[in-house]
Amino acid sequence: MSTPPHAPAPAQARAQARAAAQQADRADPGAGAAGADLSAPRGRPGATGAPVDARPGAPSRGLRFVHAQYALALVVAGLCLSPFALVFAISLGEVEAGAAWNWGVSAANYARVFVGLDWPESASFVYMRKLGWSLAYAALGAVIAVAFAFPFAWAMTRRSRRAQTVWLVFLLSSLSLSEVFVVMGWDVLLSNRSGLPMAFRETGLTDWLKAVGWFDVLREIGLATPRNVRFKPSVFATVLTLSYLVFPYAVILLYPALSRLDPAMMEAARTMGARPFTVIRTVALPACRLPIAGAALLLFVYLLGAYVAVTVFADPSRQTLTITIYESVRGATLNAPFGAAQAMVLLVTAVACLGASLALAKRAERRS
Amino acid sequence: MIPAPRPRARIRLRPTPGGVAGWLYLAWCAVFVAAPILVVCASALNGGRSMLFPPQDPTLDRFVEFFVTDEVWTRALRLSAIIAVSSAALATALAWPVAYGLWRGASRLSKALGAGLAMPFALPPIVFGVGLGFLWVFAGLIGTVEAAILSHAALHAALPLATISIGLQSVERAHLDAAATLGATERVIFRTIILPQTIPYTASGFFFALVLSFNEFIVTFFVSASAYSTVTLQIFNSLRNGFTPTMAVGAIAFILTSVLAFGLVARFGDLPRLMGADPARR
Amino acid sequence: MAELRIAGVTKSFGAGPPAVERIDLRFADGELTALLGPSGCGKTTLLRMIAGLETPSAGRIELGGADITALPAHRRRFGMVFQNFALFPHLSVAENVAYALSIAGVAKARRLARAEELLELVRLPGLGARRVGELSGGQRQRVAIARALAQEPDVFLLDEPMSALDAQLREEMQVELRLLQQKLGITTIVVTHDQREAMTMADQVVVMSKGRAEQVAPPQEVYRNPANAFVAGFIGKANMLPATAMGGAARLDCGTSLALSPPAAFRDGAELVLACRPEWMRLASGPGPNRLPARVAFVRDIGQVREIHAEADGRTLVCELPFSAPERPRLGETIHLEFPPDMLRAFPARDRAEVA
Repeated sequence: MSTPPHAPAPAQARAQARAAAQQADRADPGAGAAGADLSAPRGRPGATGAPVDARPGAPSRGLRFVHAQYALALVVAGLCLSPFALVFAISLGEVEAGAAWNWGVSAANYARVFVGLDWPESASFVYMRKLGWSLAYAALGAVIAVAFAFPFAWAMTRRSRRAQTVWLVFLLSSLSLSEVFVVMGWDVLLSNRSGLPMAFRETGLTDWLKAVGWFDVLREIGLATPRNVRFKPSVFATVLTLSYLVFPYAVILLYPALSRLDPAMMEAARTMGARPFTVIRTVALPACRLPIAGAALLLFVYLLGAYVAVTVFADPSRQTLTITIYESVRGATLNAPFGAAQAMVLLVTAVACLGASLALAKRAERRS
Repeated sequence: MIPAPRPRARIRLRPTPGGVAGWLYLAWCAVFVAAPILVVCASALNGGRSMLFPPQDPTLDRFVEFFVTDEVWTRALRLSAIIAVSSAALATALAWPVAYGLWRGASRLSKALGAGLAMPFALPPIVFGVGLGFLWVFAGLIGTVEAAILSHAALHAALPLATISIGLQSVERAHLDAAATLGATERVIFRTIILPQTIPYTASGFFFALVLSFNEFIVTFFVSASAYSTVTLQIFNSLRNGFTPTMAVGAIAFILTSVLAFGLVARFGDLPRLMGADPARR
Repeated sequence: MAELRIAGVTKSFGAGPPAVERIDLRFADGELTALLGPSGCGKTTLLRMIAGLETPSAGRIELGGADITALPAHRRRFGMVFQNFALFPHLSVAENVAYALSIAGVAKARRLARAEELLELVRLPGLGARRVGELSGGQRQRVAIARALAQEPDVFLLDEPMSALDAQLREEMQVELRLLQQKLGITTIVVTHDQREAMTMADQVVVMSKGRAEQVAPPQEVYRNPANAFVAGFIGKANMLPATAMGGAARLDCGTSLALSPPAAFRDGAELVLACRPEWMRLASGPGPNRLPARVAFVRDIGQVREIHAEADGRTLVCELPFSAPERPRLGETIHLEFPPDMLRAFPARDRAEVA
């Protein structure tokens, strides 16, 4: 209280000095005022220090930032974009004897992916079938994951913020778990020597299945040997693992939409006589239609690239394009341009789906 | 393993649909998610050389092997850690200026940079991996750890880009104006206001990138060219050649790393907000 | 001393009408000026231009005779208090207050001592170590004031400083802020949409509307002699009556003629708007000059005041009487409202649209 903080100072002189300095001075005030005695009338810092202009977007600093951005653009182009460009360029090349290949401009590799090597004499759709399996596994996995994730995300967002945080840590941890661990876990669970088949036999479930006759159904769809149930290799195990892989992703993707649903809307529905499940069906589900479709598409794209689960769980006759891409680039067949062409086909499929999901997201945004 | 959300007395559950049923469903899904992980963890206790469940002759020898004695695993673990930490740091460093540029005013260049940086993460990693394989062959870096670090940084930069962008959006313009009226230049504002206020988001982005790099498989597979093995590569090789319980220890180490990293994010940052919850509602 | 002057200041954002249009103002040294107006009138934009946070599209801003139009905010260093106070959540209270000093390179011990001194000044001694999140709304406002004053600004700016406080605290803080400002003798500009707040604190009120200054005058002057119908309607309450000028008096649409003192300086036949504040009107016992018969529609007693709503000339007029007035009129009863000639204000009818 003793010293008024705004000691009357020769403000006019200050202001004039400042204005005079204004053209020359774009100084950092820090330099001049260092250690200035605050109790005494103090002049403003003079024209010292490096030229700095402070207004956001002011020319000098703005210009420097743009230069930095151009440098950054080179890095991004080299590191993030050039790999895709290389895949495309190499997909037009030709393979030589052995593993070597030459640059080229031929669509032969694409033709082989789509209609086979001997076209037009005869058409073979081996790779199209593989692409078909890629699409089928990815679609099934994505849809199943979203179907289970929606009620999960719903129930989770009804909890307190704190409980939500715990669930999120749990989900993120399992989400980031490498595909190889997930496959390892399911492999142990589904393997014939231990895990579920053994549990089926030990608990008598197998005998019971045989007794009621369902065992034959399982045998017909390839989920059993004459003696016991058998889960791998099978489409079932592949799809199960794939949907398991993306289940946490699905929850995380639906989480924003569901957590932003206005609780008052649900309460309004309840006051009008809707039972809890009717509320979900008639209010929450329609409100989240677009996020759900968007999430399913994103997960579909993600699953198109699944590799480990398919190698381990899918029957060789039902494997996907990712496997043959690997075989061509790194594995047994060693035909890099052909592998690149397959990768391009996969990429274009993915980009088309991503575009669709972005369009959906935009529509959802416009609605809300 | 399953963090069951025990409703504490002071937390009021919303009287919205799905009370008990919702709880049961959450628990059921948690079991489903945790089951294979628990199985892997339990397998690590096997005394013999084969992977059996339930484990036989429970022992902790495998942990010693993985972390201390078995050269193959310790080298893989060291490499995984080096790649994860360096690539996460690099990804964060790449993402900062891009996010800042987008936030300052989305010029066409900034937008292109953002899209370019996000692309590798959005597309099937096998395509990116194949492309990176070609790239490093031409650059003469194939099979080096440096190439793996750069590759992971490019693959995961989208994560810090997203979290830092969310962080920058949460900085109030009024704070910047206030700092300016108090004599701060743009550089000083950046150092004293923007940077400290976005630290939790930067750290979150770093941890996201770190955990995902630690667990990354397919891109590493293509850029390593079998010159070295990370833990995930080593496990994949073992998957084909037959399991050993030692690899289960690796799985445990990874899960603990993830839980720890995301727990830190949750402790110091606003995880629901990062995941897209309405910031206004608590 | 440092007198702040703005001349012909205009600010346009893209297409459309300018947010601030050709405003000339003088802010005398040590005085408090309130920029008062409805939301969207350009008052905040004007304040931000004074702070240096926006660049005027045209015009000059001068401090002590020197042109500071192009000087950026951090070189002007006018202390400013923001609407939601904009305290930095990652800094402690003391660090917030000492922020300007810390970036000016003042040694730590000295600036913390100074921060404590300022906190004492705003009556928050010993709270320096708190986090911003632990403070109440009123405390936050005091911290924001202390922070803005730490750099000893030439001009002190406040943007709706009371809007984040609840009603009772608001009244208290208005008085306190005014006392502080007078003690420090600092040139101060407050943006507000609350006329009571402006009246409480200001030496000079600038009433703004649609980017223009409608009237610049001391509070009582603005209240008693509004410059136009907008000001009359915005500051306090006013009954508005359309009329026609006729021999220095005003003739209402219903035919009644009301005398004005001094007489209206309009040519005969000109369209007018008459304004009279409810508390300036009287209740007469019967017909007479400057009286208007009206039918009572609603009566309420609010503490010291009785408010009568009555219909006349096709509109509802409001009349405020002291509660001690003889008797409460019944609904539907015809009363006679008297407009004292010196209490009637007449404005040209171009303002009519704004009144309606």
